[in-house]
Amino acid sequence: MARLKFLCDADRCIECNACATVCKNEHEVPWGMVRRRVVTINDGETDERSVAVSCMHCTDAPCVAVCPTSTLYQTDLGIVLHDKDNCIGCGYCFYACPFGAPQFPEATLMGSRGKMDKCTYCAGGPEENGSEAEFKKYGRNRIAEGKLPICAEVCSTRALLAGDGDVVGEIYRERVIHRGYGSGAWGWKTAYYPDEKS
Amino acid sequence: MSDVIVRGRDFTAYRIGGAIAAALLFAALLWQTYEIFDGDAMTVPETSWTAVNDGEGSGENAVLADDILVARTRLLDERFKTGPSPEEPGFAAQAGQTLVEEPIDGYSKALPEAWMTGDAEMLRMLRPGQRTEGLSSLPYVNAALFERPEGRDWRLGMADFITHLGALVILGFAFLLALLLAIRGRVPIAEGRARTKVKRFGFLERATHWMTATSFIGLALTGIVIAYGETLILPFGGDLLGQAGWIATWGHAVCFPPFAFGILIMGIMWVGRNIPDRLDWIWLKNGGGLFSDEGPNPPAKKFNAGQKLIFWSAMLGGILMVGTGVMLMFPFFFLGLEAQAWVMLGHATVATFLIAIFIGHIYIGTVGMQGAIDAMWSGRVDRNWAKEHHELWLKDIEKEETAR
Repeated sequence: MARLKFLCDADRCIECNACATVCKNEHEVPWGMVRRRVVTINDGETDERSVAVSCMHCTDAPCVAVCPTSTLYQTDLGIVLHDKDNCIGCGYCFYACPFGAPQFPEATLMGSRGKMDKCTYCAGGPEENGSEAEFKKYGRNRIAEGKLPICAEVCSTRALLAGDGDVVGEIYRERVIHRGYGSGAWGWKTAYYPDEKS
Repeated sequence: MSDVIVRGRDFTAYRIGGAIAAALLFAALLWQTYEIFDGDAMTVPETSWTAVNDGEGSGENAVLADDILVARTRLLDERFKTGPSPEEPGFAAQAGQTLVEEPIDGYSKALPEAWMTGDAEMLRMLRPGQRTEGLSSLPYVNAALFERPEGRDWRLGMADFITHLGALVILGFAFLLALLLAIRGRVPIAEGRARTKVKRFGFLERATHWMTATSFIGLALTGIVIAYGETLILPFGGDLLGQAGWIATWGHAVCFPPFAFGILIMGIMWVGRNIPDRLDWIWLKNGGGLFSDEGPNPPAKKFNAGQKLIFWSAMLGGILMVGTGVMLMFPFFFLGLEAQAWVMLGHATVATFLIAIFIGHIYIGTVGMQGAIDAMWSGRVDRNWAKEHHELWLKDIEKEETAR
């Protein structure tokens, strides 16, 4: 059984922001929200690293657990999706999210922040695959076509990897062995192996 | 104290009602306790992907869905391994072939538990989970945050701790009150009604009380929809929960201004008579005379220690709720993400305790005590009720009456 994950090789990311841009374009994400963003750690230092982050589609996803209206749900590929019709904009998912993934159209709206938006792993939402309604609310559904998230497929340095976790891990490990260094899989402990000691 | 004419245990209908409520609440408590230990806190998949062929009619194929995605993943390997063209046939779904989701019946932790276990090779490549913040070229609040493992702690606090604790506190306290009504009956006016009345609360006091009371009940109910909707409403449909959630979100905001205003006015009106004194200690030591018809009813001025506790719960609790609520209405304006998250937990915790306390207040003001409702409804109480529960206050009133 495939388990889809994201892995950003921070030793390769050059902070070009192509992933963030192509994501906004592909899904026509409204103004004020980004499903993927690039964070630069230790900017200007010798150990500067950039890393692209979006929803990591966590195992035992905390956002799903805290959602008061059962808006969020996970699929058997690990993808965490959301149903915009039921979202009340309470922001609990943002408090529970280890990666700051949920986005809201409003800063405040008397306690609500509008309907949450987040990375769908290019897998749309509960509407019919490829329908106009699905595209309007969630963007393109590439998984339905057997394709992986466009942010990873477009990455010029192949820093951002998406797909089956075992394959992605293998690609990364071979790469690290080949070049002789690697700062590890960023965020994987928190997202995918919360109970493992490491 | 003169002879007891009306006895608490003679309110048979009330006691039967109390017994029924106690039984129902006990069942709810058992269910809630079971919910804590039934081990369904983990997030599990709710839908399953399969590949379907539109025309061929070859049925569904979950393995094929997997194969398509795994083959596609291999394309992300180094170019010298994958070859030049990523759009060769066979690397994505074929024409007429799509991957679709189907709902999974039942709850099984097998998949996430397997996901969580990594082999040695996998675990070696993990970077330790730690709070990581950097810079981002995006102008959004929190955009520069890469990782905060605290999110998982917050989830534990919210979904696995406060929610259950709150349900136990509310149901548990309501159960004790129902049991009290069933066993002890109402607190009677032991000497029977005097049929003459004494004025206790003026119009302004009553209007303020009911404005605050209705808005508090509105806040409590909308809050309960948000906190417990998944248990109480979801069984009747996800759309209904979504609708109820929206009404609750807006209702919560609508009820807030009258509540905050009511707290302010009540504070100004009643704080003077609610300063704790030595009499309160005596009253509390005697349990307020709550458990026996014969008394002794400890002497009290206009407000006894129990009422003072309610007053201060409303004041301190109300100020806490309004304060945290306003902070939550303006995300990241007053507080950063972490503080905001924990304030949310605090808001939920205080709320459940306040709801429990005010269930007690509603109980003693209505079914729990004969004649108590008149104080806030008509504003005029029976003279014997006043004598039994607010002896010193009645003496003052009578002194004024004779002086006139």
